[in-house]
Amino acid sequence: MSLRTYIAKRLLHAVLIAWGVMTAAFFLMRLGPNSPADKYIASLGAGHNVTAVVAAIESRYGIDKPLHEQYFNYIASLLQGDWGWSFGTSMPVMELIKTHWIYSFQLVLLSSIFAIVLGISLGMFTAVKKNSRADHIAAFFSFAGISIPHFWLGIMLILIFSVKFGWFKTYYDTSLPMLSLENLHALTLPVFTLGTGMVAGYSRYVRSAMLENMGKDFVRTARAKGLPERTVIGKHVFRNAMLPVITIIMLDMSGIVFGGAYITEVIFGIPGLGWMSLKAVFADDYSVVMAVTLIGAFVTLLFNLLADIAYIYLDPRIRYE
Amino acid sequence: MCGRAALLSAGIGLSGCLEREAKEQNQSTNLTGAPGKSGKFIEGSSGGDAETLNWLLASDATSFGYIGLTLDGLMTYDNNFNTILRWMKKDIEVSDDGLSYTVTLRDDLEWSGGKPVTSEDFVYTMKNLMFADWMAYSYAGDWKEEVDGKSVFIEPGVDNETTFTIHRKTVNPEFLYTVTDLNVYPKHIASKYEGDVKTFTQAPELNDLSYTGNLGPYRYKEWIRNDKIVMEHNPDYYGGKVKGEPYFDEYIIKIFGTSEARHAAMEAGDITSTGLEPEQVKKFKEMPSVQVFTVPTSQYQMMQYNMRDNGWAGLKDKKVRQALTMAIGKEKIIQQVRLGFGEPAYSFIPKTSPWYDDTGLLKLGLGDLYNKNKAKEMLLDAGYGVRENGEIKLVDKNGAKIKLKLITNTGSKVAESTAFLVKQELGDIGIEVDIKLVPWETELRKYYMNKVPGSDQQPRNNNGARAVSEEPWDLILAGHFVDLLQPSGSEIFFATDGGLNIYGYSNPRVDALFKKARSKEALDKNVRKEVYAELSKILSEDQPIDFFTFPTANIAFKADVKGIEPGINMNYNYMEWYFG
Repeated sequence: MSLRTYIAKRLLHAVLIAWGVMTAAFFLMRLGPNSPADKYIASLGAGHNVTAVVAAIESRYGIDKPLHEQYFNYIASLLQGDWGWSFGTSMPVMELIKTHWIYSFQLVLLSSIFAIVLGISLGMFTAVKKNSRADHIAAFFSFAGISIPHFWLGIMLILIFSVKFGWFKTYYDTSLPMLSLENLHALTLPVFTLGTGMVAGYSRYVRSAMLENMGKDFVRTARAKGLPERTVIGKHVFRNAMLPVITIIMLDMSGIVFGGAYITEVIFGIPGLGWMSLKAVFADDYSVVMAVTLIGAFVTLLFNLLADIAYIYLDPRIRYE
Repeated sequence: MCGRAALLSAGIGLSGCLEREAKEQNQSTNLTGAPGKSGKFIEGSSGGDAETLNWLLASDATSFGYIGLTLDGLMTYDNNFNTILRWMKKDIEVSDDGLSYTVTLRDDLEWSGGKPVTSEDFVYTMKNLMFADWMAYSYAGDWKEEVDGKSVFIEPGVDNETTFTIHRKTVNPEFLYTVTDLNVYPKHIASKYEGDVKTFTQAPELNDLSYTGNLGPYRYKEWIRNDKIVMEHNPDYYGGKVKGEPYFDEYIIKIFGTSEARHAAMEAGDITSTGLEPEQVKKFKEMPSVQVFTVPTSQYQMMQYNMRDNGWAGLKDKKVRQALTMAIGKEKIIQQVRLGFGEPAYSFIPKTSPWYDDTGLLKLGLGDLYNKNKAKEMLLDAGYGVRENGEIKLVDKNGAKIKLKLITNTGSKVAESTAFLVKQELGDIGIEVDIKLVPWETELRKYYMNKVPGSDQQPRNNNGARAVSEEPWDLILAGHFVDLLQPSGSEIFFATDGGLNIYGYSNPRVDALFKKARSKEALDKNVRKEVYAELSKILSEDQPIDFFTFPTANIAFKADVKGIEPGINMNYNYMEWYFG
């Protein structure tokens, strides 16, 4: 099986899994006790024909038909590229996602770069300097980074650097040009908030994986051959240590986009996908929840695939043919 | 529906309904002291984003707030209950028999593109959209009347280009406030989407307010969901001819995810205005860069007593309800929960309403009538206690300790703190309160909605005297809005068949008084005043709910914002505010 066939097969699996996830989400949401008509019923006074109003509202939202019919209609629309209408925000779902994905993407991208660069460097450094004072200090900050909740860290950063020193705006300003230094400046605190926990986590993973490899025979052999320490650590230890770390990082990405970034988005007022998804769930905005679930499933599967492909380049022993 | 009129009149979210003294305003003054237009006004909000800008489909206050920046409405009220004309040339004329309401529009109102706004647009909006079956307008019931036992729509008709008249067959003096709330769509655009609710829901022009022409001080510019809505200064604003154009270049409403982030933004000077939580007021009042206004609101906090068959049997007894109310200190709630920001409530009409009259009000829970010993004696008299060694021990009819189940929604600090205070107060007289915090949706479905057991009724908030909710409850904490000018709208809470009378309260005299408030007799304002005084008195005695407080709101503005007139409808002149 060639790499191309392998990727095609994995993509086919991804489609099937995403379809399964979408179907489950579709029926689970509609089996729930709440309905988009609830808020209208709650505000109706005497004299209203509740049944008629509910029927009209359900018709407005396309949820008045039998469940199986709604399901097939949804699939049919999806195949035609129509992701539905968001009645919680009054716009087409795809347009909504198009507007919001970029805010999450830039936050996750920058946080990941920050976390990967710093986390890996710190992990390598503490592995090499095992049990030194620097290692203990790094361990302390790593555990603190993992333990501090995003919402607390975010608020503290705002109070110190925005309110007290006035270095940053207290919220993210969407009117800034995306590719500008001002935007980068505006994202500093959110990236630090989201990235701190990731730095801490990655540094511990890298340190642990490095230490595990440093005691192995091939490292001892490399050293016995007289290779410089930099080559031993950089080429032999680090490359082997990265295999499990890559998996963790890749799986982290999708989780962060649709989950972890949410709190940071809420604190800094960033209108990203995480915040949008949560609002949609609370508003019973079916079309948005479905779209986000489907995209979330795809992204998770995609990052899994990317992790598998990355193995090939990191570990020459792995072949898909 | 005066509350919606107020919401439509501005975006700051402070709704208020005021006394209608038809004092026509000839607004000819200019913005004295206001420099040339410049600057952005940024209002911070953390109450969630709007659902739609298509006003006929809106059910949330935020949507009406956004829309109101671009569509002024027929009129509004100032803080002193005076009518401020907006789209109308003169005040609404009500015929002597109270059956006709004539609206005369200004002749300089225009849709985008220059087409004039005519009375035909208003009549079309009512007949073809608001009253249409396919639309299922949520507030359509406000435009109906009972004629020969049938619920029918009122009859609007065009008189001429700028005048239309609404005809009723029955008298309802408070219908006037429904008319003042009327909004409008351009017939030439809306008719393209008529007949199909899905098409109407997704109509681009109706969703981006691109039709609003010169009808409001601001024009739609941009709306990023969950982030902000940006309205830009409208140079064509009809009001600008006499009052000067709105000063701010842009009016922005920025959404925050948490109140902490919103307060931090205000403190840092990143936003111009925001509402404050009670615990933040002191800090902001001490800041020289900020001005804080404490203003009344049109709502009350209260605790509902379940008089239905699945509530504690004792709650059906008026004396028992009075005793419970007497054991809970209103001043304690105001001081401990609201940190002093509120007024004690004894009925549903607050002091700020022109219909307020405290003659004969039973002021339970305050002063001498906040008395736990007296409350215990009243419960003993009602058969819910025994004397043991000279002490009163409260027990149920079967001799067991009285236990009450209190429900409130999650996510509200005020509700949670109030629940624990109630638990403590009733605990002091020997009643155990079990607090249950549930999400709002669950509260609505399991505790509010009810039906007659075993029947095929669709659950709703009041399905008759024999109906009960899915889950039993005794006390529910909540808040109600009251229309200060049209308190008869509170019929839904207190009339036997009131749509939100979830607790099964019934008093034929109350029903009759609410009807009287909307009768021909009540065209005489003195009669209406008497009606509301008696209603307040009866409800303060009957205690279907324990009226806790009328909360006051705290609004912070940057110190350089000028032109604000603090009061219950302080945003009535928001288009005249400026940076000084």
